[in-house]
Amino acid sequence: MWELDAKPVLLWSDALVFMLVAVLTTFFYRLRNDPQSRERWSQVFSSRLGMVTFTIIMVYVGVALLDSLHFRRALPPPDGVETNEVFYDNKVTSVLDVMLDGMGDRFERTYSAPFALKSFEKSNMKDEQGNMVRDFDWLEHAGQHLAEPAHRWPDVLRLSAIALGWGLLASAVVVGLQWRLLRNSVYPWYASWTVQTSVICFMVWLVYISHYYHVLGTDQGGTDVAYQSIKGIRTGVLLGTLSTLVMLPIAVTLGVMAGYFKGWVDDVVQYLYTTLSSIPGILLIAASVLLFQVYIDLNPDFFSVGMEKADARFIALCFILGLTSWSSLCRLIRAETLKISQLGYVQAAHAFGVSHTRILARHILPNVVHIILITFVLDFSALVLAEAVLSYIGVGIDPSMGSWGNMINGARTELSREPAVWWTLTGAFFFMFVLVLAANLFSDLVRDAFDPRSSSGRSEA
Amino acid sequence: MLAYIIRRLIYAIPILIGVNLLTFTLFFVVNSPDDMAASQLGDKYVTPEAIANWKRKNGYDKPLFLNDDASGVAALTDTIFFTKSVRLFAFDFGRSESGRDITTDVSTRMWPSLAVALPSFAIGIWVNICVALMVVMFRATALDRWAVFVFVALMSISYLFYIIGGQYLVAKQWMLVPISGFDPDFKPWKFLILPVLVSVVSGIGSGARWYRTLFLEEAGQDYVRTARAKGASEISILFKHILPNALIPILTGIVVLIPSLFMGSLLIESFFGIPGLGSYMLDAIRSQDFAIVRTMVFIGSILYILGLILTDISYTWADPRVRLS
Amino acid sequence: MSTPADIRMQVRDLRVVLGETGEEILKGVSLALRAGRIFALVGESGSGKSVTSLAAMRLLPDALQITSGAVLVGEQDLFDLPEAKMQNVRGRRVAMIFQNAMSALNPVQTVGQQVAETLRLHTPLRGDSLRKRVVQLFAEVGIPDPDSRFSFYPHQLSGGQQQRIMIAMALACEPDILIADEPTTALDVTIQEQVLKLIRELTQSRRLAVLLITHDMGVVRNTADEVAVMYRGEIIEQAEVDEFFHNPRQEYSRRLIDALPDLTHFQSVAVEEPLLQLDDVKVYFPIRKGVLQRVVDHTRAVDGVSLSIGRGETYALVGESGSGKSTLGRAILNLEEISGGQIRFKGHAIGSLARREMLPYRKLIQVIFQNPFSSMNPRLTVGEIISEGMVSLGMGLSAEEREERIGLLLDRVQLRREYSQRYPHEFSGGQLQRVAIARALAVEPELIVCDEPTSALDVSIRAEVLGLLQELQREFGVSYLFITHDLSIVPSLAHHVGVMQAGKLVEQGSAEQILTAPQHPYTRALLDSVPRLDPA
Repeated sequence: MWELDAKPVLLWSDALVFMLVAVLTTFFYRLRNDPQSRERWSQVFSSRLGMVTFTIIMVYVGVALLDSLHFRRALPPPDGVETNEVFYDNKVTSVLDVMLDGMGDRFERTYSAPFALKSFEKSNMKDEQGNMVRDFDWLEHAGQHLAEPAHRWPDVLRLSAIALGWGLLASAVVVGLQWRLLRNSVYPWYASWTVQTSVICFMVWLVYISHYYHVLGTDQGGTDVAYQSIKGIRTGVLLGTLSTLVMLPIAVTLGVMAGYFKGWVDDVVQYLYTTLSSIPGILLIAASVLLFQVYIDLNPDFFSVGMEKADARFIALCFILGLTSWSSLCRLIRAETLKISQLGYVQAAHAFGVSHTRILARHILPNVVHIILITFVLDFSALVLAEAVLSYIGVGIDPSMGSWGNMINGARTELSREPAVWWTLTGAFFFMFVLVLAANLFSDLVRDAFDPRSSSGRSEA
Repeated sequence: MLAYIIRRLIYAIPILIGVNLLTFTLFFVVNSPDDMAASQLGDKYVTPEAIANWKRKNGYDKPLFLNDDASGVAALTDTIFFTKSVRLFAFDFGRSESGRDITTDVSTRMWPSLAVALPSFAIGIWVNICVALMVVMFRATALDRWAVFVFVALMSISYLFYIIGGQYLVAKQWMLVPISGFDPDFKPWKFLILPVLVSVVSGIGSGARWYRTLFLEEAGQDYVRTARAKGASEISILFKHILPNALIPILTGIVVLIPSLFMGSLLIESFFGIPGLGSYMLDAIRSQDFAIVRTMVFIGSILYILGLILTDISYTWADPRVRLS
Repeated sequence: MSTPADIRMQVRDLRVVLGETGEEILKGVSLALRAGRIFALVGESGSGKSVTSLAAMRLLPDALQITSGAVLVGEQDLFDLPEAKMQNVRGRRVAMIFQNAMSALNPVQTVGQQVAETLRLHTPLRGDSLRKRVVQLFAEVGIPDPDSRFSFYPHQLSGGQQQRIMIAMALACEPDILIADEPTTALDVTIQEQVLKLIRELTQSRRLAVLLITHDMGVVRNTADEVAVMYRGEIIEQAEVDEFFHNPRQEYSRRLIDALPDLTHFQSVAVEEPLLQLDDVKVYFPIRKGVLQRVVDHTRAVDGVSLSIGRGETYALVGESGSGKSTLGRAILNLEEISGGQIRFKGHAIGSLARREMLPYRKLIQVIFQNPFSSMNPRLTVGEIISEGMVSLGMGLSAEEREERIGLLLDRVQLRREYSQRYPHEFSGGQLQRVAIARALAVEPELIVCDEPTSALDVSIRAEVLGLLQELQREFGVSYLFITHDLSIVPSLAHHVGVMQAGKLVEQGSAEQILTAPQHPYTRALLDSVPRLDPA
């Protein structure tokens, strides 16, 4: 049973992600105690759209988390050598890879179209007579079980039916459990269950059918495109959350201080963010990423596996995005703090001689949380989109790490081929679009619930 | 007013110095003068003497920030930072690492950038306002809700996809316009159609959605109720009262971008092969030509600050309530 | 008495519901407006009086729906008209003016254009004759220099003039019916009186039928011919004004009338040792100009005020908005830096103390703010809010003792002890103001600065809160500096009165002295505009 024998690997980004999950959980748990935010969250979740989008986001986050549990498989001992020492695979695997059941290991030689049986490009091979011919080669991992190529589509239908059966069974278990717990809830959980059922059925279908076909074809290197698209989820989700997390403390601290203390503190903070925002963002990010690239190149021995190097570059990108993008949130928080400082309860606190730190912690910070929240959700989708652009410019994610940006990046040349290779773009587009759309719609709801300006004030009657 | 503008210009100086200091530090940590010399000379010719020679010839043989050997003001002025950065303030951009005159490059590449950016900007705003107005006319109906959903969906599509999709459909499949390229002498508009179209379409989602909120915000104001009480029709309220008021935030929100139009768009220019400043920047990043990047950062910040000042001025122009002091 | 033929508008059994919840906002309101008469609809916020007027114009926000009833103008039921026809009625036959003229006028159009728009919509007037008519209207509503005011923007006019423009706009097409929704609420008292006088005159000269919506009984007394009291979506009493004030039939109406000032009884003045003394206190804000932002001048918010408040005494500081009275209050609390003079508390100079040195005095000088909703942190429970001062000022109480004290204080301000676990948004304005009083009392202060503590409250609640404040004064011997723009609450409350205008204290003395024999013309103007039960 060598498969069970594994050595866990904790990449830096993994550690950060789990820390992030812990922080967010406590944050939301504490928010629950606050009646006002509880009321507002309940407003968000009372709508079906809120439930649906939240479930979708949670599915993405769940996939990202599963993809962040990394380990290295133990290799079977070399033949004929009796040793107690265990050797580990140089390749880092994640729990998600295991759940996808080898989807990422079924390589072809190069491009192949979705559900194709033959390669997209001709290659040299020998026919029965032993002559060299150039023709489309059969794929290694598609349609091997078929007796006759013509049976392909009926076979796909048959397999889909089986997969759907399994999918429905699995969702029945998952949804049934929740139904027992939540059937009396006031929230529209059925909307969430519909999404859960579709997602489970889709995933089961994808994993099942991938044993027999490449659902979204393969890319230039012969990797399954569906697999790549799913691996892009972790990159997208992490980039969106980690960058914001880096940016938050800077923006909040500076913004609150500037708005509360005013005077020279305000001048300095304003100078800092005006200076920063006057530099074209993309140039600043590009320069910083290049800087880190040089650092990595100069210290190659820091990272024992290739994945760690890519990971370090990824974290650096998150930090750079965070460090260069705090100015707009800072400005918002400064303005809000200025407003709150004028309100009666802060004035009253002054009149009670409450210390500055206590006023900041008790009166100011809790009342700017809604801005932080709205920004967090809004920036998330913006960052996922930005990743693609940065990857195109060449300062994004390391090409060895799966990302939608890198996939779209390649699509430019692929589309100009004849016939066009459209499936890489489609795969990346679909997975990215669903996430960003869900996040955008969700952020709209959060903003409606939390932003006093956007909610319609009760008219005086 | 004049005093206000002068004061704002004076305030801009420390900001520009800050920008310079930041970019300078960043780039010289990445690329020390020795590295620069090595990459410019080519690997074969790297000897300590050659590097020293190159540095002397190109003015990189001084300390970065503080010259201990010199005395007085010279300790600050006789440094790489001073000689390389302060020149920018006189709009003397020097030469790129590959020896080209940056000032000439910038002044020739500015126009193609503008040729794409200006129509995209103007048509984009016009289209967004029209779309938003149409949606606002149907406010609080199912049409409005669906329109918002479509806006959000349009926003959720990557910009790259708009470009790639546009090139694939319009240029490759329908063959209506050339895929890319730019020729200022030969029917330049033919090359401009697609980039402008792509910029406009990709902006509809966020733009129209934003304007819609602005319109709705105005529609809830008291003076709109007054206009109704006068007996004005909904259409005339929309055009006579809501639109002029909503134009204030729209105008002042976009004025800050106008100077930056000179910089062009990184992605559009590189995808469509337009020889503007955007693709100039991208090439500089890719070839790590820091002289160009530094110049572009400097120009970018100046244009941004100019945009901020213009924004304030546009307030006084658009809103009778605002006076600058 | 008028004849039925004079009836210009009739509202019959009007019912309105809130679309979302089905809650009934108006429960069958009926009234009739007659030519040349002002019909006042009185009620507190939320009683449905504004909804009535908007429903009559069919201008309700989308959330509210009319379920039944009729609004007859002549023989025509307005609810039967298609929207396009209704647009001909609005502004032409029925016109409306709103509470806050500043926001009710389009900020980017000149006031001339806005008045001209009404004429353009309903009359064939164009060009020069249109302009002439507008200028004529401006003159009629008393706008000075009407010709040049044509091209002014709303923000360039004063509040009173803005409201006059609104009236000109409403009257431009000579409507039969005028609906005025709290037309004077946002204005200072002296201006208020002038605008009401204008409405009265126009009612007579044009034989208008006026529906005047207000919460202010004084306005009703001085302006209206007929009055109806609204309470929770119903008209509970309707009568001629004289009859109503002398013989109200409902208990609720009586409470509204009782809130009017009684200028015959005053607090007697006892000579007490001074607790707080202000000596030529100045608060200046710099005005900066030019390239270098040099200070060229100062806004003299408070310009040399001297006064003294005795122990257990109430000093009412009266003035209109912008007179500097609130700034002075903040200066006493050391929330604003003083530019000159001295503030003494029990003989100690506290005018320019540093944060830490001020702490012992913070315990002794407390504050109650105008807006009870913004003066409570929405994220803290009432208990936490009340205990804040006890903790920060180191009262040296254990958690249990604090708990006990919070309970006692809530008892004392007539709130339930369990409320300490609740959050501010669960309370009404009046209840919150009680919490604010409990919060101030928690640290056992000797002086409380009350900055317009009742102006955000409805009249009937206002009296209760003022009563509570007086009771507490008798019980604890605490002094009040009572900042207000409302002279009507002064007689029952204050021992001494100071009148502030443009940063200066123009007159001060005992309450009786000021209210019965005012010396300064400004005080007299203020006093004249106070509505009273028996017009002198």
